[in-house]
Amino acid sequence: MRRVRSLTLTIFSIILFAVFLNKAPELLNGYWQRILNLIAINAILALSLNLIYGITGMFSLGHAGFMAIGAYVSALLVLSPAQKNAMWILEDIYPWLLNVNAPFIVSLILAGLVAAFFGLLVALPVLRLGGDYLGIATLGFAEIIRILITNTARLTNGSLGLKGIPAYTTLFMSWGCLGIVLLCTVCMLRSNFGGVLRAVRDDEVAAKMMGINTFKVKVLAFTLGCFGGGLGGALMGNLITTIDPRMFMITQTYNILMIIVVGGLGSVTGSIIGSFLVTTMLEWLRFVENPITIFNFNIPGIPGMRMVIFSLLLIMVIIFRREGIMGMREFSWDIFFPKPKAKSKAPREKSETVLEVQDVKLKFGGLSAIDNLSFNIKRGQIMGLIGPNGAGKTSAFNVISGFYKPTSGTIKFLGKSIGGLSPNEVCKAGMSRTFQNIRLFGHETVLQNVMIGSRIRQKYSWWMTLAPFIFTDVIREDSEVKAQAMDLLEQLGLEAFADEEASALPYGAQRRLEIARALATKPEFLLLDEPAAGMNPQESEELMNFIRRLRDEFDLTILLIEHDMKVVMNVCDYIQVLDQGIHIAQGTPAEIKANPRVIEAYLGAGASEGGAA
Amino acid sequence: MEMLKIKNLNVNYGAIHAVRDVSISIDRGEIVTLIGANGAGKSSVIRAIMGLVKARAEEMIFTSPRDDKPVSILGKPAETHVKLGISLSPEGRRILPQLTVEENLNLGAYIRDDEKGIAEDMEYVYSLFPRLKERRRQKGSTLSGGEQQMLAVGRALMSRPDLLMLDEPSLGLAPILVDEVFGIIREINAQGRTILLVEQNAFAALKVAHKAYVLEVGSVGLSGTGAELLNNPKVRAAYLGG
Amino acid sequence: MELNIFVQHFINALSLGSLYGLVAVGYTMVYGILRLINFAHGDIFMLGAYFVYFATIVYKLPWAVGVVLAIIGTTICGLLVDRIAYKPLREAPRISALISAIGVSFFIENFAVVVFTGMPRPVVQPPILMKPIEFSNGVRLIPLGILVPVVAFLLVGALLWLLYRTKPGLAMRAISFDIETTRMMGVSVNKIIALAFGLGSALAAVAGIMWALRYPRVEPFMGMTPGIKAFIAAVFGGIGSVPGAMIGGLLLGFVEIMSVAFFPTLSGYKDAFAFLLLILILLFRPTGLLGEKLEDKI
Repeated sequence: MRRVRSLTLTIFSIILFAVFLNKAPELLNGYWQRILNLIAINAILALSLNLIYGITGMFSLGHAGFMAIGAYVSALLVLSPAQKNAMWILEDIYPWLLNVNAPFIVSLILAGLVAAFFGLLVALPVLRLGGDYLGIATLGFAEIIRILITNTARLTNGSLGLKGIPAYTTLFMSWGCLGIVLLCTVCMLRSNFGGVLRAVRDDEVAAKMMGINTFKVKVLAFTLGCFGGGLGGALMGNLITTIDPRMFMITQTYNILMIIVVGGLGSVTGSIIGSFLVTTMLEWLRFVENPITIFNFNIPGIPGMRMVIFSLLLIMVIIFRREGIMGMREFSWDIFFPKPKAKSKAPREKSETVLEVQDVKLKFGGLSAIDNLSFNIKRGQIMGLIGPNGAGKTSAFNVISGFYKPTSGTIKFLGKSIGGLSPNEVCKAGMSRTFQNIRLFGHETVLQNVMIGSRIRQKYSWWMTLAPFIFTDVIREDSEVKAQAMDLLEQLGLEAFADEEASALPYGAQRRLEIARALATKPEFLLLDEPAAGMNPQESEELMNFIRRLRDEFDLTILLIEHDMKVVMNVCDYIQVLDQGIHIAQGTPAEIKANPRVIEAYLGAGASEGGAA
Repeated sequence: MEMLKIKNLNVNYGAIHAVRDVSISIDRGEIVTLIGANGAGKSSVIRAIMGLVKARAEEMIFTSPRDDKPVSILGKPAETHVKLGISLSPEGRRILPQLTVEENLNLGAYIRDDEKGIAEDMEYVYSLFPRLKERRRQKGSTLSGGEQQMLAVGRALMSRPDLLMLDEPSLGLAPILVDEVFGIIREINAQGRTILLVEQNAFAALKVAHKAYVLEVGSVGLSGTGAELLNNPKVRAAYLGG
Repeated sequence: MELNIFVQHFINALSLGSLYGLVAVGYTMVYGILRLINFAHGDIFMLGAYFVYFATIVYKLPWAVGVVLAIIGTTICGLLVDRIAYKPLREAPRISALISAIGVSFFIENFAVVVFTGMPRPVVQPPILMKPIEFSNGVRLIPLGILVPVVAFLLVGALLWLLYRTKPGLAMRAISFDIETTRMMGVSVNKIIALAFGLGSALAAVAGIMWALRYPRVEPFMGMTPGIKAFIAAVFGGIGSVPGAMIGGLLLGFVEIMSVAFFPTLSGYKDAFAFLLLILILLFRPTGLLGEKLEDKI
């Protein structure tokens, strides 16, 4: 019902807008048509940079370079041989290039593809860098592109640039392109793959543990974003009809960055609103640079004033409304209607050694974090891993789950060696974990968090999400996964929170959600890192029952780190004790409680013989 | 004479209520210890006193023996505490790894201008920890764990605090070093400094403390003199889960 | 290559490199403390050049006075930038400060266009700096070419003295490793950050003044490319390290001058070398030459 309503309203508005575009040449003068075109082009550019940066969290400053590639590819394809002959004055054009020609639409697609290809080339080495370094490297790359264009005159006509490009970018062309880009982006972001992209941004480590090859996902998003950059550049060239290398300086990237910051990083709606506001504002502010006459005073235009005002506005936005206009929210027709509470329900159905750790050592530099750890876990066991601060428990978890490579020793999971596998591969093998300092995808809803955990079991490829109405597998699999996720939430008592943002949940619910997300990968073996941390006695009492239930209902084997001894002693079948990296004891809870070495490790030397008995 | 009085201290980290209504009183010249299992909120209490985390409390009043004037330190930023006479040797030592031992100590004396006094105190720290003197030109990162701990304590002493707070000074130390550290804590106390000690090693801490509080999941479960608690079976229960 | 020409190139590289180095030091100090790429730093450098231009050429003040006034003026601007655009964002995600920095950079550049107009203005060089000194073996040197590296090295030396021999310097180094611990020692963090901005801006002012003398003109966008290159130099040297920034600057200066000197056909690609080198360095030694490993939060 809600979907039908939204769809109807969307189609109706698109038709209205198309009618408006059809009439626009009569209603608006050339100047306003150009602004309207620029809005659409800027929106395409903003969406593509937002995909790279706002959605997937890669700080890229290279967009101008990809725009340049797109603009030149398209221009070289649509310019006629006669025009090319006339334009290349200083050096001769390559003969093969002279006669290359293609229709505008083809040139647009090629522009995007070539930009995407360069994007891929850049991404493969550079995306291994993180944060600011990635920004600087992409900025450097964009400059290199610009310098190459300036210096390869036979190909690009060098610093003279290209003139007289046919003005193929009509309103229908630019808005049509935006429509397609928008449709594909929205479809992709609404699918579970879109959740994966945001998960990589929110917490790359946790995403890996959900079985996601985060590097591949990042390369994909970057390449797609570059396609958009190339497309936008091509449309821009065919609108302005003149391009030269100076058009694609870093300032161009900053402009797009501003649009997405003003609109809201990570919000598609924000990118559209942002490009509307920024583009019109930049045009409107031109008045300060034109001479004005008030009464009899002639105020001369002040060149540069436009950008002064504009940059001040930007600084003010970032200081006073950091999240931009939309934040991370999206537009939805539902804001005009009262909210119905939706709920879905569907029923769900449902001794060997699981893990073998042998002589595992882990060293950082010269420091030994784990010194010779060996133990086995049998199917269905709940094993505790305890020890004072700095004993190496979390390090042991990180080794088992693939975040660290053991210095020596073997780890076998379900009979296969997993030492040296990456976390996403370990996850695929059937292991999942939670983290000491809860690592949820904070900006995603509770439901989405769990669905991201199911992504490794889905069969559809990412590109199908660009057009789910054709590749209906996407819709089918996503709805299956959604139903399963809802079941999981229900079993863990989280269904009431399904549409809340994960970061807004109370603490205990966040812990349970992290477990639900881990369960969504359908693991056989679950590692819990301090599930009781921060819980009050009553909550940890509930947790004990919950952990037992987990084992029984989900057929799990569980290894847990815990400081709350009450939980450990009550819930675990067997306990391993570490102290300063050394495996000092193992046994049943009763044995451990009576073990003098354990008492010493916890209460301090002398305690076991001392007064406390 | 009361030096620090805390009434109903509460600390939250996001949704976690880490410290609940903790009240503590420290008299001049005492060694007071806060013990409790991991995650009981010990460090949060000490960080709240130092102004490193946002905290709520009915009162948090420090009276320096320098002027006997009670001052509320609730909500004051951390950099003002040293001037009042409180210093902290933080959990995990937090040695500045690229600075030399001597520079780390000098940083501890940052608020002071009396060069002669600083030099005296530096000698005093070196007399407590002769190993640091040998290594005074080495970078902090090259020290062993035990030496780093000594440096952290020494650095906290360099501001001539009235109240010295030590957060887990025995953490990760070999047993023989633990004894040494506690011996030095006694010595520092004997020279007139009040000490608030947060420890996981309850046995050692209770042996040196005049007064102790046992924290259990964020609130004070037991309190008493060190000797009393040393013989209390509930203390063991608090650690090993009864 | 003739000795004479080689020496010319060498001196050129040395002075260009030390100018990059001076600007890079400002980037590296701020980045070391706040993990912020201060995009406005190149524009602060431009302000230094304009201030000295106005003081000496427009208002005809003596050079010594003009230089001092320019340094003071630029330093004040640097402090204002921190106070207005960065300080409110200390607790915000780092990207906010970065975007604010881009905004400030835009603002300063365009404000300069408004106030100084976009036209490049020629700088009249004091003749004493330009009179060539001739050596017996035919080598000719212009005093300015020697003055630039000498001043740069002296200033960086003074900065190192301050960092390693004074109390505020100690605090500044401490802050770049661990802000919280440094606060516990009674250090007022905001004052030290302001000091870093002030010192960085003063050095950038000196670099801007010498740049204006060397390429005798000033224009509002003159700080853009040198600014980005100086940041690259700071990354080369290992971001956070002051000696590293100077070494990185020199390295970049030599690569640019010498590559063009030995392969004149590549002169069009001169600006690309810096970026290519940057990408290579980031890939193979992300911490730079003297850099400490910056911990990633995992």
